[in-house]
Amino acid sequence: MHNHHTDWHIWSGFMILTLLLFRLLWGVVGSSTARFSSFVRGPKTVLRYLRGGWSGIGHTPLGALSVVALLAAVAVQVGLGLVSQDPDGLYFGPLAILVSSDASDKARDIHELWFNVVLGLIVLHVAAIVFYRFRGRHLTKPMITGRAVLDPGAEPLRRGKWWVAVICLAVAFGITRWIVAGAPPF
Amino acid sequence: MRIVVLGVIAFGLIAAAPSRDQALKTMHERHEGMESIGKSVKAINRELAGGSPNLATIRASAATISNLSRKASGWFPKGTGPELGKTGAKPEIWQNWPDFTAKLHNFQAAAKMFSAAAAGGDVGAIEARFGDLAGTCKACHDKYRAEMKH
Repeated sequence: MHNHHTDWHIWSGFMILTLLLFRLLWGVVGSSTARFSSFVRGPKTVLRYLRGGWSGIGHTPLGALSVVALLAAVAVQVGLGLVSQDPDGLYFGPLAILVSSDASDKARDIHELWFNVVLGLIVLHVAAIVFYRFRGRHLTKPMITGRAVLDPGAEPLRRGKWWVAVICLAVAFGITRWIVAGAPPF
Repeated sequence: MRIVVLGVIAFGLIAAAPSRDQALKTMHERHEGMESIGKSVKAINRELAGGSPNLATIRASAATISNLSRKASGWFPKGTGPELGKTGAKPEIWQNWPDFTAKLHNFQAAAKMFSAAAAGGDVGAIEARFGDLAGTCKACHDKYRAEMKH
């Protein structure tokens, strides 16, 4: 960790935790294409997609692997940060004192290394978007607007409710606050 | 006669320059010492965070920090920077020597004050003096310590 701006480092981690929790909740009760049950597919479907025998909207079966990998890698990164302490012992993740001092030091070392894994997945993800763009497929605009040209016979998007999104965000914020407080028992 | 004078001068130069081995040994001692101080600071912070601090742990850690802080006066001889080996000590230490030593003295004074507070049982005072001490670590590290990978 850099010596300066440690507070920024920690607070951006809490923000990422909030976004991560929101995405996990939205993956259960959100728009149809955001739900894990609708886009996470097994290896057979991934192979079928690669051979060109898949059609649908939202994440492709291959893209779904990228989504799951990114969410998992970020979750690991945030989890490690929560139990880390800095080398001087002046800054602590909110859950650091729940583990031993040595474990916190180890977590910080892995947190530092694991960032490269996150970076690698980000590069891969963006490279894939650019690749599809050159092949004439826009992926980011439909993600933001929810509008895309449907393949014939594809089931259209069922939009999530705005108030469900607000509740998800509030719950994500609440859980983050609880973790920042050191996860006290109720 | 001239040879003798030159010989004496040469001997003087060799004797005055600290040997490479000596410098590396100092750097190693510095590294171990700083790590030990860090461990103690972590132990104290963990006690204070828990709500019911164990004063014996805090006192032992305070003594470790205080002892090592006095030894730190000998940890930064010239020639023990990154030009010699892997270290977190920035060359700026020797470029701003008066400022660096002032910060080192602040640390030593704060360590002594904290040790005195730890000897008493007033947790509020212990926390306050520990805050001062942590501030002196940060003041110096922000300016004079480079990131160091293990």
